[in-house]
Formats: sequence, structure tokens, C-alpha cells
Amino acid sequence: MPRFRTPVRALDDGTYRVELGEPERALVRSTASQLRELLVDTDSPVLRRLFPPPYGDDTERNEGWAVLARPELIEHRLASLDVVVASTDADSLDEDQIGAWMRSLNDVRLVLGTVLEVVDDDTDVDVDEHNAATYQAYELLGYLLEVVVTARASRL
Amino acid sequence: MSAPSPIDVAEPDLSDLVDIDTPWVVLVWNDPINLMSYVTFVLQKLFGYSKEEATTLMLQVHHEGKAVVSTGSRSDAERDVFRLHEHGLWATMQQD
Repeated sequence: MPRFRTPVRALDDGTYRVELGEPERALVRSTASQLRELLVDTDSPVLRRLFPPPYGDDTERNEGWAVLARPELIEHRLASLDVVVASTDADSLDEDQIGAWMRSLNDVRLVLGTVLEVVDDDTDVDVDEHNAATYQAYELLGYLLEVVVTARASRL
Repeated sequence: MSAPSPIDVAEPDLSDLVDIDTPWVVLVWNDPINLMSYVTFVLQKLFGYSKEEATTLMLQVHHEGKAVVSTGSRSDAERDVFRLHEHGLWATMQQD
């Protein structure tokens, strides 16, 4: 009987082999591009999970932090998303590219999870005709992130 | 014409000295979106924890809602919080 074969594998030469179908690659490409647009053009509340206030209830310190850290966090996120969009068709990724995939897939899931109102570990998302596609993308990207993390963590 | 300003003798603020010695802690909070495997990986990569140590911290976050992942000066804490936010983890800092 066939064994499960993971679509992302660490190879002996230090690279990562990626065997994904076109629908999965298209999903990665489109969600990464959409997140890029949101980060560049908006201050949308669905992005809030990407920029947590670090000082608890201390509004003044949180605002000071946002002024300094947010532009740099956005810049780093855009750099990762650009790497992902440019490599969605690749069969082979290097260490930097796999790191960018990992961070960007996680960023996209944080935003989709926020849109879907995933609020705690034990409550299932209420899926209906309005959010079914978003939920499907969230789950599929979760699976992809898991296999990417497994491949990357095998090198630690 | 203005009167000469009184000489301002500032009292040293001892609370500042206390502040310098009190370390900041960086906390990671549970959230239902981040994958357990990803959180474990990020803690290993950023802080050099072993797989076992990172897994223990991740499970503490998962079951207790939060865990201290690093301790140090305010600037150490800010650097760690920034790197954790870069990786999408929900991190905060406070002086304990």
C-alpha cells in the first residue's frame, strides 16, 4: 500500500523539493498577493493580529511602539510575500525561500483566521455559504504550513 | 528683566535605579490560529531552545494561556518581541 508522501521535503543538498498541484500553487499566489495589497493600501482591522500591542494596557507605550516597529514589520512582511509570489511555481526552494513561505503562509492564516473569527481552541468555525471558500483556504494553507514547518524543522 | 532662576536641585529618583535592575520578561500568549508545530519551530529558531524545551513552552502557552520565553533588559525584550511579531506570534513584554 502507498505511504503518505509529503509534498515538501528537505533534500540532502540543502534545498527543499516542492511537489504541489496548480490549484494549491494558485491559492498560495493569490492569497499572498492579496495580503500584499492589504498591507500596502490599508490599515484594515483584519490585519490586527499581525501587529499585537506589546505593552498590555499601556496605550502610550503601545502607540510609540507602533510608530517605530510597524513600518519595519510591514517592510519585512512585504519582502517575504514578494519571495513567495516569485517562487510559487518553483519545484525547488532554498533556505531563505522556505523561511519566507513559512512566515507568509502563517501571516495569511492569521488574517483568514481573523476574518473567520477563530476565537478559541475548542469552538469550531460556523461554516456557511458566505465563508466556505475562506474556510477551505484557511484549512488548506494550514496543511501546507504544517508540511513546510516539518520539512524546515528537520534541519534544526 | 527676569529674576534669577532658583537653582534647581534635582532629587535623585531611586525608582529609576530599581527599574534598571528589574528584568523585563517576554510572554507568548495562546491564540487559536498559530499551529503548534510552527510555534515550537519559532521558539527553537529564535532562542536556540532544544526541541524538548520549545515543546514544553509551546504546551504551557497552549494549556495555561501564556509562557515566559525570554528575560533581560528592556532593549533585549523589545528585540525579542519584534522578532516574535515578525514571525506572527502574539508576544508582549512587561517588567516583573
